[in-house]
Amino acid sequence: MRRRHFLSAAGLATTAVAAAGCSSDSGSDAEGSGGSGGSGGGSLVVDNAFDLKTADPARSFELTGAMLNKQLYETALTYTGSDVSEPVAQVCTYALSDDQRVLTLTIEGEHLFADGSAVDADDIVFSYQRVQGVKGNPSFLLDGVTVAKVDDSTVTLTSETPNPALPYILPNPSLGILNSELVQANGGTTGPDDAAETFLNSTSAGSGAYQLDTLQVTSQVVLEQNPSYGGEAPAFGRVVLENVQPATQKINVQSGTAQIATDLSADEVEGLDGGRTAVVSTASSYMIFAWFNTDPAHGGPAANPAFVQAVRKALDYDALLELTGEGSVQPGGVVPSQFVGHLESDPSNSHDPAAAEQLLAQSGYAGEPIEFLFSNDVAVSGVQLQLLAQAVQSQLQAVGITITLAPKPSATSLDSFRSGRFQAGLAYWGPDFPDPSNYLAFTPGENVGLRAGWTPQSPTAAQVMPLVEAARAASGPDARDAAYQALQRQMNVDGPFVPIVQPAQNVVTSSDLRDVALNPIWTLDLAALS
Amino acid sequence: MPPSPDAPGRTGAGRGGHPLLRYLGIRFLVSLLLVWGVTLVTFVLTALVPADPVAAVLGDQAAADPEVVAQFRRELGLDRPLAVQYLLYLQRLVHLDLGTSAQTRQPVLDDLREAVPATLELALFVLVVSVVLGVGAGLLAALRHHRPVDGVVRVLSLVGISTPTFWLALILFYVGFYRLGWFPGSGRLDARMAPPPEVTGLLTVDSLLAGDAAAFTDAVAHLLLPGIVLTLYAVGLLARFSRSAVLDVLSAEHVTAARAKGLPARAVVFRYVLRAALVPILTVVGLSFGSLLSGSVLTEAVFAWHGLGQYAYQSATRLDLQAVMGVGLVVGITYITINFAVDVLTAFVDPRVRRR
Repeated sequence: MRRRHFLSAAGLATTAVAAAGCSSDSGSDAEGSGGSGGSGGGSLVVDNAFDLKTADPARSFELTGAMLNKQLYETALTYTGSDVSEPVAQVCTYALSDDQRVLTLTIEGEHLFADGSAVDADDIVFSYQRVQGVKGNPSFLLDGVTVAKVDDSTVTLTSETPNPALPYILPNPSLGILNSELVQANGGTTGPDDAAETFLNSTSAGSGAYQLDTLQVTSQVVLEQNPSYGGEAPAFGRVVLENVQPATQKINVQSGTAQIATDLSADEVEGLDGGRTAVVSTASSYMIFAWFNTDPAHGGPAANPAFVQAVRKALDYDALLELTGEGSVQPGGVVPSQFVGHLESDPSNSHDPAAAEQLLAQSGYAGEPIEFLFSNDVAVSGVQLQLLAQAVQSQLQAVGITITLAPKPSATSLDSFRSGRFQAGLAYWGPDFPDPSNYLAFTPGENVGLRAGWTPQSPTAAQVMPLVEAARAASGPDARDAAYQALQRQMNVDGPFVPIVQPAQNVVTSSDLRDVALNPIWTLDLAALS
Repeated sequence: MPPSPDAPGRTGAGRGGHPLLRYLGIRFLVSLLLVWGVTLVTFVLTALVPADPVAAVLGDQAAADPEVVAQFRRELGLDRPLAVQYLLYLQRLVHLDLGTSAQTRQPVLDDLREAVPATLELALFVLVVSVVLGVGAGLLAALRHHRPVDGVVRVLSLVGISTPTFWLALILFYVGFYRLGWFPGSGRLDARMAPPPEVTGLLTVDSLLAGDAAAFTDAVAHLLLPGIVLTLYAVGLLARFSRSAVLDVLSAEHVTAARAKGLPARAVVFRYVLRAALVPILTVVGLSFGSLLSGSVLTEAVFAWHGLGQYAYQSATRLDLQAVMGVGLVVGITYITINFAVDVLTAFVDPRVRRR
């Protein structure tokens, strides 16, 4: 799961400035602000609330890092714009064996690193093995995969088990292809002793549209065009990524100081000057969900499946969508609406207070307080979890469920959630890669499932487990679509997770920018803008 | 018979060395002891935080992989016993190694080298302006006690102290930058402008050293809005303290005696009143400077000013323990150094202090 950290101090600021910013009119002017305004001069200024840690692809797994590395490194496969339904060739074409265990990558065309050398199979093998070996945040992407060179332009990735998701994983910018000779000359290895991170934070070693000029992970990153880039030259010769909190982003993009603001909430984009700015909006791939521990020792009354069913019926999803702002959608299951295998809707998760009360009576719940954990310093695409938790508390109270809110800073709430010993809570999940298999983490015995005490031995897992295996084994888009939908329908009956909302993702740009496509993995491909 | 003021027992000269040097020596030793105390307190408090940095730093999938978690703990030295961690921490400190930040994955010292100059530049700007305006206004108000000027200074200083800094920052940014366009926007320099070669990290100084007039002008312009926000509070505080300190001295017997002897008012004010009032004023100036250096999180957030306050806040919320300890140490040493400097200045200004 990717992280989303927002300063609560900035959150406070956000609210106030957003209110101020919303009242702005088209007559506002900041020409004297010292900014050059507009998108001329070959520079693109992007305001982003940084969660950046490093520019080393093998260690980077944050949103800002993904956007940055997308510009610096080419990947074997990629996605076109915001369409993540089918990976396409960037450096390589691919073929997946019938048993879905062997993926063959073949380099197509000439791809040059910034120093003029050509990308070859050794670079791909080194880059992938390095991701596996340094044991950084993204190393799990290639767990159980053996990478081998066949010839100078061919590489095979062999998985221990059928791995139909692998082509969907490879476009991740963490799997960017590095100039292996250059990186090895600067301390790079394919093991934990790798020492190339410092080098990669000062000099990019990729074949992407841009190369790194300067990197200050807490404040600013500057990119310059890669003269050797083989694709269509980007419209902007220089890109400045600035770490700016959302409230200030709004004013900057309205004034022309920045051309893109990436972190505005649905409320903040309301009232923007349509003449100067354009809003690109879509449902984000973040899924906010409630969870209830299925282990009676920790979940207490919340461990009863009828109790969770009552919660599903007690929630007024439309009211919650109104609260989270325009563009938000209710996911039918845990898989977000833009991925293969998603559910449009499911009657199990629909508002029916009478049914909720009936189910509650069946569960034997007698009004015991349910401790409800959430991160009180996190906003997911502008949606404060604190507000959402309060709304859930109020709606559940209406059918007789007593929720005791347990807010904690994310640093400690994650610990409690991951312990698997907390009673219930509100959490969120961002995709590691745009494939429904990423959401098998929510099934019994898996990473997220265990946090809710859901094991393959749980009574509620009996009907789910065969569907999990069927989803894993399914091959081809239609079969996978059907298998994952069936799995989610059953999870909506027996599972401890209640999908609540996918908040809207909004990117505001100056009105003269074109071809702005939001991607759930790297947010924006800046080289594709015109 | 009481001892003479110059008797050894009173001045301390008989206890070895010049009284001023002895005083400074003791203050210096106390400061060193305090620095050690700061290292201990920051380390212990950080160790007591009831959360695991693994949860705060690693992603969900990575945190579920024991090998990744082990590698992370090894990198941060979290796999050692606490006492060993502290000793290693002290050993590293001797070599100016503050560890590696988990959030930026760079040495904490490098992070601080980026953050501290940003804060220092703003703090120096605010300090200079607020000392001139605040002490001046306080002096004027005291000398015009119970007159309209005094009333105006008192009201304005109250407003300066009472206005919430984050609110003022938001309003000034919105009005001064966006609505009126009188000031530049966020950051320390226009994003499209190339920064001057780094020498001190202070953009105004570095641009002057590089002879880059455009960068200098832009850097000064970017200082104005956040500077005004922080200056208003500091001016209010200094004006109130200065007024109060000067009023106390004005009613002292030696000032009355000086006036009775017919000394000109200017001489009385500058030779007797202001000098005597400087001691409490210096203390407040020192504390204000320390407070400015330890960062103003909200002001820095609004103006995207990536200084020590922002770094400290982000480190704390992300449970970046090495960075938190680094910031704690820097802030602690800053206060200790400033207090030491104030003690030294006080000893120069007030001979009674060094005779204690």
